Amino acid sequence: MEQVHLTRENLRPGRTWQRALLKNRNAVISILVVAVTLLLALAGPSIYQNLLTGSDPKLRDGVYQDYDAINTGPSPTHWLGTDYLGRDTLSRLLTAIRISLLVAGLVETINVGLGSSLGLLAGFFGGWVDILISRLADMLFAFPGLLLAILVSAVFGSTARELYGSSGRLLLVAGALSLVSWPLMARLVRSETLSLRERDFVTAARSLGAGQLQIILTHLLPNVAWLIIVAATLDVAGVIVSEATLSLLGLGIEEPGASLGLMIFRAVGKIERDPFQVFIPAAAITGLVLAFSFLGDGLRDAFDPQGRS
Amino acid sequence: MQKLSTITKLICLIALISLISGCVPVTQTAAPAAGGTLRWSLEGINELPALDPPLAGASQSVGVISLVFEGLVRLDGQLNIAPAGAESWDVKDGGKTFVFHIRKGLKFANGDPVTAEDYAYSLNRAFGPDFANGNAGYYLSNISGATDVTSGSAQTISGVKVIDPQTLEISLNTPSVYFLYQLTFPASFVVSKKAVDANPTSWTDTAYGTGPFMVKEWKHNQSITLVPNPNYWLGKPQLEAIEMPFIQDAATALKLYQTGELDIMGTYNFPTDQLSAVSSLPEFKQVNQFFVAYIGFNNAKPPFNNPAVRQAFARAVDKATLINKVMEGAVVQADTIIPPGMPGYNAAAAKIQSFDAAEAKTLLANAGYPDGKDFPKIALSINNQDPNFPKIAAALQQMWQETLGVTVDINTEELSKFNDDLTATANNPEDPAALSFYVSVWGADYPDPQNFVSQQLRSGVGNNNGHYSNAEFDKLVDAADVDANQATRLPAYQQAETIALTEVGWLPLYYGKANMLIRTSVNGLVVTPQGLFPAVDWTKVTVTK
Amino acid sequence: MGRTIGQRALSLIFVLFSVTFLTFAVSFNAPGDPILNMMGGRQDPARYALLRTLYGFDQPWYIQYFRYLYNLLHGDLGYSYKYPERPVWALIANGVPVSLELGLLALIVSIVFGVAAGVLAALWQNTWRDTLLTGIMLVLYSVPSFVLIPILWIGDLALYRAGLPSLPVAGWGKWEHYVLPVIVLAAANVGFIARLIRSSMLEVLRKDFIRTAKAKGLTWSLVIRRHALRNALLPLITLLGPASAFLVTGAFVVENLFAIPGVGYLAVQAIGQRDYPVIQATTILLALAVVVMNLLTDLAYTLADPRVRSG
Repeated sequence: MEQVHLTRENLRPGRTWQRALLKNRNAVISILVVAVTLLLALAGPSIYQNLLTGSDPKLRDGVYQDYDAINTGPSPTHWLGTDYLGRDTLSRLLTAIRISLLVAGLVETINVGLGSSLGLLAGFFGGWVDILISRLADMLFAFPGLLLAILVSAVFGSTARELYGSSGRLLLVAGALSLVSWPLMARLVRSETLSLRERDFVTAARSLGAGQLQIILTHLLPNVAWLIIVAATLDVAGVIVSEATLSLLGLGIEEPGASLGLMIFRAVGKIERDPFQVFIPAAAITGLVLAFSFLGDGLRDAFDPQGRS
Repeated sequence: MQKLSTITKLICLIALISLISGCVPVTQTAAPAAGGTLRWSLEGINELPALDPPLAGASQSVGVISLVFEGLVRLDGQLNIAPAGAESWDVKDGGKTFVFHIRKGLKFANGDPVTAEDYAYSLNRAFGPDFANGNAGYYLSNISGATDVTSGSAQTISGVKVIDPQTLEISLNTPSVYFLYQLTFPASFVVSKKAVDANPTSWTDTAYGTGPFMVKEWKHNQSITLVPNPNYWLGKPQLEAIEMPFIQDAATALKLYQTGELDIMGTYNFPTDQLSAVSSLPEFKQVNQFFVAYIGFNNAKPPFNNPAVRQAFARAVDKATLINKVMEGAVVQADTIIPPGMPGYNAAAAKIQSFDAAEAKTLLANAGYPDGKDFPKIALSINNQDPNFPKIAAALQQMWQETLGVTVDINTEELSKFNDDLTATANNPEDPAALSFYVSVWGADYPDPQNFVSQQLRSGVGNNNGHYSNAEFDKLVDAADVDANQATRLPAYQQAETIALTEVGWLPLYYGKANMLIRTSVNGLVVTPQGLFPAVDWTKVTVTK
Repeated sequence: MGRTIGQRALSLIFVLFSVTFLTFAVSFNAPGDPILNMMGGRQDPARYALLRTLYGFDQPWYIQYFRYLYNLLHGDLGYSYKYPERPVWALIANGVPVSLELGLLALIVSIVFGVAAGVLAALWQNTWRDTLLTGIMLVLYSVPSFVLIPILWIGDLALYRAGLPSLPVAGWGKWEHYVLPVIVLAAANVGFIARLIRSSMLEVLRKDFIRTAKAKGLTWSLVIRRHALRNALLPLITLLGPASAFLVTGAFVVENLFAIPGVGYLAVQAIGQRDYPVIQATTILLALAVVVMNLLTDLAYTLADPRVRSG
């Protein structure tokens, strides 16, 4: 994950961030890519299953093993072929992307929810609140992110599966990854809040008798929102790779579920025989990471043209 | 014990590579040249689990131990007993007493002479309290007084007597036709008291014995290097060294071979989904083995304490599809406990667990779970070593789902944790954390049905992790074990096998084939078509540049 | 300066404390009973009680934690659950120099190539060369290691089949074994560093003192070398911290796929075996490496940039 030092300069009047964003060609492309991917992930599997197929839709659900069609190449029934157990590759790919986005979504929700609120509180109140929250964040921050996630997934993985089934594993992975993401968000939001706190409009609001909560919600929050959005978007790329790495190490999503990391893991051994099965999920992951990175960069440039990176 | 069974698989592999007269030679012996270094991978592990003979568990351990240590006897190419540390022996009391004459001039690799005293020391040590987790008890508990040493009530084994420095006498509790076979196991191999006393916790780092090689360097988690034993009784091997890296992933080992970094690979694990790429190469060798992969059940707790449930699961498995399509024919379907080719094989027993989806459904319904309703949540446990297991488990998962309506999770565990859990299940089967059912392997230790029938499924034996128990079965095998007459003991084993198959003590899946790649520059190794382990004459093996 | 060092030392201690506490907390709450596992599930109450006392499990958690810390500070990492006669440090000792070598080499390579790429891209700004270079750097930064590795493997195999010199795809020992893993580990950092240096360089080139130098008549290359580079490279120090953090987590995948016997390899193996003392030790070691790097980075930055020193 990139260490982001974000500062804010005044925007030129008349320049909204939306316009700035749309002028950035890379950002526009990545918005499109992300949108298409989201659509594919949400609706893709069901459309694909029922589209133009004369045969049983079950064949394309990505879980059903058709033993007569093992390791086949692209065909009218299976648009991207099948894997070593006769499961439809395209369907598995779409499901895997869905899971990656789902995990990313969960992680960012916690990240944003927990990280930014704690950051706001720490920055606004200062004092022991700040010390407490900052120490807590530092504690988690010191841990190289993936390491803690690996530790937690490894130790509690089987328990999660026993208690909650496969969604248990997913939740555990999301939980572990968000554990290591929120400290960064909290830090960023805290430092921005600290500088905003001393601004005139805050002092004005206070002197008008606004309550603390009101100040936080109506004055500070809107002004850190851009920071939260940018940081979260850039973080998504890292989460996608982390989830794939966990699955690669056997600590994330398991069979019969699909995950980009898991698909690559299973296919890497047979790469000479069937390179397709490695490169399809690999391309998917790379594409997702690039798209979110570009989008995040574009957002940051749009909000913060003179920003130091 | 499952650890041992994989050893057998590997021993088979080593055995496969043998230069024994009467076998079909595949490579010609080259003119004796300066030895060369043999690079031979140990797949499936990150680190050699143990090099101390009584602790030999995994096949990789047994493989390396067999290169460094030796016992009283060994197997030859026809799977007959041949002399090793003992030049000759006498059998007395109808198979209850054995007198071994130790080879004259036999020495350890460091030059120390070997006497009967050393063999006695090694046996006593193997049964000692330090090795309670070891394998001596599985194979040699028939020696009189051996179990007393393990329990602590005796210091030495009463049945092992040193008559004079060249003569060792071993007495058994009951006469046994296969005792000598049991001595081909690492548990009884001779170790040097001097070496052990000099460095009790890590003498194996520079281990030496009476085998053809000795350890030069053991880089933990990386590789082990062996060099010739100058005092080996058959002569000093010509090879300069054997380098054995530990490669967890068999597919990586294959890539290493393909890029010229290895001379032999695949003896321990082979990525069978890449068979089509290599099977036409001259260096490729494939041999059938007496090693069976099966599903074991925990008979002590629900749902598998009900034989009807076990039978339902067994009849729901379409083995033909599993073997031919999923495994792409890389292995052979197994329908009986005693494998074909072994004395006592009963082809008629093959249809007992045949695939019948309708029957499976009925059985499950009669057991109280129509269409899988209310069936408890269970997981099939597999280890992470064998690259085929994830595939097989996933296919089985689907078969049971489709036919029985039962959802089965897959629990993949690291190899040594898996073995630990198996042991825990054996010792404490009713514990909620005990495994419900699992995929395991067993490889023949010697060509006798006792090894597959009694040693696996009799009530209370160590390998019977699932606690399968049937009084009739026990009666039959107990009688057969001490019976010296093949004409009566084989049918007894067959009857017992039929009982066990009907009640699904085991659900055999397939017999493995050994697949390996041996570079043509390696001379002196011969692959036998049989599979079960003859000894290699390492003095004749060389690698030409 | 003295006060800052004192503050730093305090935060270092705090961080170490938290790292050990977190690791301990996770292992403590792990499912399963390690004593029972060690005994193979055998029911032997006497031996069970004995082992429990031996390992200190009969104490409350805070006593156990402090005992652990105390031992840790005395260099005693405990004994492995898997190999009860072997002390943890003995199991790890071999892995540490391997991971260190790999990590340092990757760091150096990524800095050299990253800086070169970043500087060149800045100098060639807005030409096709810049776009190409930036594009390559971006791809290197985005492609995860487990995607890069199979690509390199296929390339290597192709080289071998063509009879050209090739590199080993796994293992450790000779210098040839270092090449592919270092490439993979360094790749993402190269992209990261290049981007940073490029924008830093661009910013420096815009500055007035550069214009002054050019106006004074200095040749362009002299200007670059003497003035621009020194200032552009300053941010390099700040990223040593995140770079090493990335190397540590990257090591897991690289060491495991290349069968390199380093600390990451041991950690994954121990995780599979539920060998908690080893897991704890490797985790603490790895976290410590990152913490120390961050600390050194902070110190170096303070020394290097005089503006910060007086603050």
